[in-house]
Amino acid sequence: MSFEKASDEQLVRFALDGDEDAFTTLVRRYQRRLTAFLSQLVGDVELARELSQEAFIRAWSALERFDPKYRFSTWLFRIGHNLGIDHLRRRRLKTVALHRTDREGDEVELVVEDTTKDPLGHFENTELAGSLKGAIEELTAEYRELVLLRHFGCLSYQEIAEFKQMPLGTVKNKLFRAHTVLRKALAAFL
Amino acid sequence: MATTCEAIQELLTEHLGETERLSDEERRHVELCPQCCEVAAGESALGLIFARVLPPADPTVEGRVRSAMKTARRRRRVLALLPVAASLLVALLGAVMLGGLPGGSLLALLPVWSSQGWVSLAASMADWNAVFTTAAGATTALLSPGVLAAAILVSLAGIGVIAIAARRWRQVSPWRDIG
Repeated sequence: MSFEKASDEQLVRFALDGDEDAFTTLVRRYQRRLTAFLSQLVGDVELARELSQEAFIRAWSALERFDPKYRFSTWLFRIGHNLGIDHLRRRRLKTVALHRTDREGDEVELVVEDTTKDPLGHFENTELAGSLKGAIEELTAEYRELVLLRHFGCLSYQEIAEFKQMPLGTVKNKLFRAHTVLRKALAAFL
Repeated sequence: MATTCEAIQELLTEHLGETERLSDEERRHVELCPQCCEVAAGESALGLIFARVLPPADPTVEGRVRSAMKTARRRRRVLALLPVAASLLVALLGAVMLGGLPGGSLLALLPVWSSQGWVSLAASMADWNAVFTTAAGATTALLSPGVLAAAILVSLAGIGVIAIAARRWRQVSPWRDIG
């Protein structure tokens, strides 16, 4: 049986029997999607690659405790999401104020070099990439997360409903509203 | 009509403007309704943008995950053995402190307990309690306070190892934020 055509559930069963190739197939299947989702969450594609790698290792380590009543995709994204949130919490503790007051009492803004790797850096159209990034950032936190799960994580509506523990109808409605905002914000490119 | 439009526009959002995925009736509606037609076109264009958001695959990730899988497997085995080893240590120390393992006659009672049920078990527990009380008294009389304290400390260390292992297990659990 070809692993590439096997379902996630079948691959998990093979992996539980100790088949590392089966799990590697899952890594190949979800790597780009998880990295895309996490890169938007943490704002750095290189960091997102490290976090997704860690998510796969944790998934492998905890595979025996995976509950088959859930989908592998939502479980994996949950692990990745937890890692991303943990990272953001740690990073928040290390922040410094970007506005200081100089000797004359005037407020000066500190210029900080952005060393992060742009998650949409692979876009040829940088103007579109900037607008898309801006439009997503303008969304409310709840809409933004749903958009990231849908279009960067490529999860189905059903998977998102499971991930967010939200009724399917609510997911449909919220994504519809989020898209309405995005269509307006990106009208120049549509 | 507004409800129909909203329902159809929700579907168009879900399918990123692909009208082929709608029913004949819904498709006819889209053709006749300028608002829904505009949403279909907008969603279709949005879909093309979203189709490009995935970053290129990193071929090194697969290899790194694979090598980490082997390490993780070894660590998982050691982690799983820790509570067992700690429990054995505590049980062994307890047995030593009580002057040896329970006698064969007591172990032989096990099948009797299971066949006669909880009442027999309760009676036997009372016997055990008497044995423990006597043994503890004897131990206190025979062992010097220093040795006794050291034995208790080792037992506590065993319990501590169990607690640490259980905590570590909880930390690696991916379901910790659910529920």
